[in-house]
Amino acid sequence: MSESREVVPTQRAWMSVVQKIGTPIISTVLAIAVGSFIIWISGYDPAEAFAALFKGAFGGPRQTGETILRSTPLILAGLAVGYGFRAGLFNIGAEGQLMMGGLLVAWLGVQMAGLSSVVTIPTLLVAAALAGAAWAFIPAILKARIGAHEVITTMMFSHIARYIVAWLTAGPIKAPGQIPQTVNLTESAQIPRIQSLFSEGALEALPFLNLGRAHLGILIAIAAAVGVWLVLRYTTLGYENRAVGLSPWAAETAGISVQWTTVKALCISGALAGLAGGIEVMGLQHRIFDQFSAGVGFTGIAVALLAKNHPIGIIAAALLFGALSAGSGTMQLEAGVSQKIILIIQALVIFFVAAEGIVNWFIRKRQKEAASSAE
Amino acid sequence: MNKKLSKILMVLLALTLVVAFVPACAEEEPVEEEETTTEETTEEVTVKAAMITDTAGLGDKSFNDLTWKGFEQAESELGVEVKVLESATINDYEPNLQELALAGYSPLVATGFLLTDTVSKICVEYPDTMFINIDGFFDPVPENVVGVGFKENEGSYLAGVVAGLATKDTFDSRLNDKNVIGFVGGMDVPLIRKFQAGFEAGAKSVNPDVQVVALYTGSWDDVAKGKELGLSLIDQGADVIYAAAGGCGEGTVRACQEKGALFIGVDADQYNTIANSGDVMLTSMMKNIDVVVFDLIQAMVDGDFPAGTMQVFGLKEGGVGLAPFHDFESKVPQSIKDAVDKASDDIISGAVTVPEAL
Repeated sequence: MSESREVVPTQRAWMSVVQKIGTPIISTVLAIAVGSFIIWISGYDPAEAFAALFKGAFGGPRQTGETILRSTPLILAGLAVGYGFRAGLFNIGAEGQLMMGGLLVAWLGVQMAGLSSVVTIPTLLVAAALAGAAWAFIPAILKARIGAHEVITTMMFSHIARYIVAWLTAGPIKAPGQIPQTVNLTESAQIPRIQSLFSEGALEALPFLNLGRAHLGILIAIAAAVGVWLVLRYTTLGYENRAVGLSPWAAETAGISVQWTTVKALCISGALAGLAGGIEVMGLQHRIFDQFSAGVGFTGIAVALLAKNHPIGIIAAALLFGALSAGSGTMQLEAGVSQKIILIIQALVIFFVAAEGIVNWFIRKRQKEAASSAE
Repeated sequence: MNKKLSKILMVLLALTLVVAFVPACAEEEPVEEEETTTEETTEEVTVKAAMITDTAGLGDKSFNDLTWKGFEQAESELGVEVKVLESATINDYEPNLQELALAGYSPLVATGFLLTDTVSKICVEYPDTMFINIDGFFDPVPENVVGVGFKENEGSYLAGVVAGLATKDTFDSRLNDKNVIGFVGGMDVPLIRKFQAGFEAGAKSVNPDVQVVALYTGSWDDVAKGKELGLSLIDQGADVIYAAAGGCGEGTVRACQEKGALFIGVDADQYNTIANSGDVMLTSMMKNIDVVVFDLIQAMVDGDFPAGTMQVFGLKEGGVGLAPFHDFESKVPQSIKDAVDKASDDIISGAVTVPEAL
């Protein structure tokens, strides 16, 4: 009797870990399977396509660098959406907060030309986070005070942000020339590329360090993921966040201010998204223009869903989506498969993650059957 | 039940692994070899030409599709090996160009001025690869680049002559007496202002009192915005609308069909590229990108590629011009056709200089 009591909890703990990691992996595998089928019925060779995709994502140092490069903002955007989800908030407008982060950095970075990068880079990172948080603040207040749904307000704010960027880059802060964009950041405001840290000789001796466009922003992104994980797990802030996410009524009863927690959660979510935009500008684009983010804020939603909002899982999910994006060019070049298939695979991943409910239903049914047969 | 499910899952999982990953591993090595062989064979006689699109991609019914048309012609008539890489996002421009340069393609044709920065950067890294940038302006031009420009203002001037005379005319019941014509632009950039400047100048040359209302979508692919602006222009009294807004123009066509106005297309002969548009498609201002792309690839084959130059094509060079009136051919009065011919002659002879900016 006492034996079985001990076994059940460990079994449950093991089951929950399997369930946590298992669903995303099975979803990804199923998505690739269905994607292969779609490639096949479109008249191409799925094996060739995925081989090329893999080669484009990890086939050499430059390709690996490209995967790292594309994963960097996805980690931060995924964290932004994931942190909101943990408080029961769907920050669908991370894209807008990301743009505001990038916008402030692109403007402030130019103003700070001439200062040392030791001052400039941290200042710009803080500025990016603040800009994102500020852009999330109004939807947050609206949600907390009058219950305006954040899906609507953050989405609308994301449109406003896009047009502000389009307007400013076409007029007030436009660089001279044909193209509507700002002037380049000076080197002191740029996040250096990883390969730039090594001497020519070192790069020749160790060619795998030749990571192309990948920049040190990846370290900031990983640090942010670990930070969010620690906050959620070990701090009062994180506890309140999770409590409100699980059940606002219970949290309220326990003396947690749901309104204040909502505001904090959306602002932190916005800050992470703003950081994503700032790092994208400082590390890759070095300037801002209309649609500079290429939908990173929206892909971040997919990343968070796949990782089930777990900060460390988000790193893995972002790497997957980054690799898909980095490899798609080679896939098109060598296998002739349109890059749009990548969007289909991304959508399928989300579809299968969402279908987890069906799997859970089977598990619960089985547990019931087991319980009734035990009786 | 559950056993069945897990069996199904296992089978799917195994299948996927077989389908996706095993061949991926197996092919890794030969793939590397392939790369080295292509590098060695760049001296072969056959020209391998490749195109990279902007984010609108193939299927935009104007800019990218026209460029690809030139490629298809080069493939069938010159036996050139052709390839296209679409850019899903702006972050793909640089790796796409690198990918093609490494695979030994030359010339690389990049469509649109949004790629000019990337071309300037990449052309230095691959000095043996030739680059062509449509609508790209370089000063100075790097020695392995050809910048292709069009005098869109000249073609737009002719479109303006048609619109300016048509809005006064009564050859179609949808033409009103308000003397207003409309212009829908894409992104508000100097290039598109050039279209607008030519259009206005052409309209005013034949109809000094005409009012030209111009609106910009801020995008190349937002069809809904194109329609919205079209409806707004018609509300303001416009009965002929000229759209130089890439894929947005299709939306403007639908607005014209809904509210009753005539449309002038851009880049391609959009009578052929936008489905069911014949009832409003008065004409199109064509940029003969396909012809220019074909000529440049041929120059590459013949060995007289004009590397390091800007190539600018106007009415005189056949780079721009008006498309046929198609369904309106019998309706449009001869006086308008004569006016277009006269304006065209004047521009070619130099008697008329079309402004480039407003």
